Amino acid sequence: MTGLKKSFYIKARDFNRAGEASISVQNFLKSMNFDPKLIRRIAICGYEGEMNAVMHGGDASLSIEIDSDKLVLEISDDGKGIEDIELAMQAGYSTAADEHREMGFGAGMGLPNMKKNSDQIDVQSQKGQGTQVRMTFLINQGGQAT
Amino acid sequence: MSSEQRDTCFVRFDEGLCTGCASCLRVCPTKAIRIRSKKSIRIVNQCIGCGECIRACPARAVRAATSDLKILGNNHVAVALVSPVLYAQFPGIMPKDVLHGLRQMGFQHTIDMSYFLEMFQLATEEFIKRNRETRNAPWPLISPVCPVVVRLIAFQFPSLMPHVLPVLRPVALMAREIKRRIIPFYMETGEDVVLYYINPCPTKMDPACLEKDKQPAIPEFALGINDIYPELAGHVRRIRESDAIPFYQTRFEYETCATGNASMWAMSGGEIADMDIEKSLAVSGIEETITYLQKIEMGLFQDIEYIEFRTCREGCLGGVLNVVDKYLAKSAVQKMIKTVGLGRRLPREKILRLYEKGDFQTENRPSQLLSLFGGQKEGLSIESMQKVEKLLEVIEGRDCAACGAPDCRTFAEDVVRGNASMKDCLYVHVQTKKKNKKPSAG
Repeated sequence: MTGLKKSFYIKARDFNRAGEASISVQNFLKSMNFDPKLIRRIAICGYEGEMNAVMHGGDASLSIEIDSDKLVLEISDDGKGIEDIELAMQAGYSTAADEHREMGFGAGMGLPNMKKNSDQIDVQSQKGQGTQVRMTFLINQGGQAT
Repeated sequence: MSSEQRDTCFVRFDEGLCTGCASCLRVCPTKAIRIRSKKSIRIVNQCIGCGECIRACPARAVRAATSDLKILGNNHVAVALVSPVLYAQFPGIMPKDVLHGLRQMGFQHTIDMSYFLEMFQLATEEFIKRNRETRNAPWPLISPVCPVVVRLIAFQFPSLMPHVLPVLRPVALMAREIKRRIIPFYMETGEDVVLYYINPCPTKMDPACLEKDKQPAIPEFALGINDIYPELAGHVRRIRESDAIPFYQTRFEYETCATGNASMWAMSGGEIADMDIEKSLAVSGIEETITYLQKIEMGLFQDIEYIEFRTCREGCLGGVLNVVDKYLAKSAVQKMIKTVGLGRRLPREKILRLYEKGDFQTENRPSQLLSLFGGQKEGLSIESMQKVEKLLEVIEGRDCAACGAPDCRTFAEDVVRGNASMKDCLYVHVQTKKKNKKPSAG
């Protein structure tokens, strides 16, 4: 059986509408009666990833792929890329511009938060080549409550 | 509520007046309403009692499930539990005159909420103060005052239930006080007591909806402010025109209203305005509430301690059962606060002693709420969801709601669940007609 796949578009630098893709994912998973706690973890990761893409990425996409045992959330952008991924994963490390910090974003918690709330995270990036963040969430038996 | 029905615990539909225009479908935040053939309304999801369908209906075919005023006055002691929003319906008139008008209408007791609002306020401040150290509850805490918000969370945002402040709502404190003091008083005289909640919105559940063993021991009825307004306004006018100096005698201290605090609660922001909380926020309106809850679910606002939500715009004075327009009512409240001023009356130490004893805490409510309002629709499996996505590609719709569902996605989900047929879709219907025509034209 092939998994269920769904993609959403994220527009670069559109702060007003940032979060909409994650909300669509939330609603989608709610129709499927996913475990509320799992939905919340996915929502947090989706939002953090979406914000990163809006701040640093070019246009981006957020996609989910659902299988019976796991859900994969992927955010890909064609933005400026991450120079040092290990550094970017550290809490508090941020390359956000001052204007973003003034808006209350860019505290350097994005990737650490995504790591904390997902079961597995894989970041692929090269300077100038964009970034792909792939997060896996395990679905326990019965995690998809009926 | 998996089976379809026409009325909910909060609203009733009049199919004779319904024109099938679908206005109510579009505004329902839980997508609970469907229109089946021949304007027949069916409720398929949880109704949380927000009253948006009442507001939206141009044919006045939706009304609150409130009781008939005629039941008042026959062989029982009628106790009115008054929402402070009632005062805002009488610009320039003091709350005590409004309460006196209610007593002339036949309510033996008129319970003002001020004391209970103040108790709630103190208990909330105390909970938040302690939570700063213990962090037992997550920030932001969500006000439990608007029951529609709490039901919305139980139904659509169950992961946020731990954010709901576990303090008894003012109206629960009020009902408890009546049960502790007024009812025992009449037990001695052998008279029956009936409680009447006077509300600005259809939030009070019709007791008939509750299971038999959960029904209240003391009969309870809900009255909309609009139900009592015409008669009450007459009494209030006569009280105002009378030359008698009004020294009203009441038996219990909370039967009169003394400060502007209670009135302030009618407005959005009125709950937090006088509360001693470092960082709080007031949000009003159903769409705004949903947007903020979505953001909290995504991990935002963790730097805020307390959020007051009201699903009616401008707060309770925007309730659908009010008589006076919300902006005029707001102006009346602001004027009243200027006249009578704000102030607390309860001794703080005494309330804190009660708090220590656990008098204000509630714990069983979340589980109760989840069982009553938690997601009860059947979840769609991965295969079903794939079918939904395929159907949506076929429909290519514009959320026209002609099918009787609020939007194309909901319709597709209904079809996959077996509750609707693709034949009901206007787009699909037109496209099939075009296809069928082509061969004959060629």
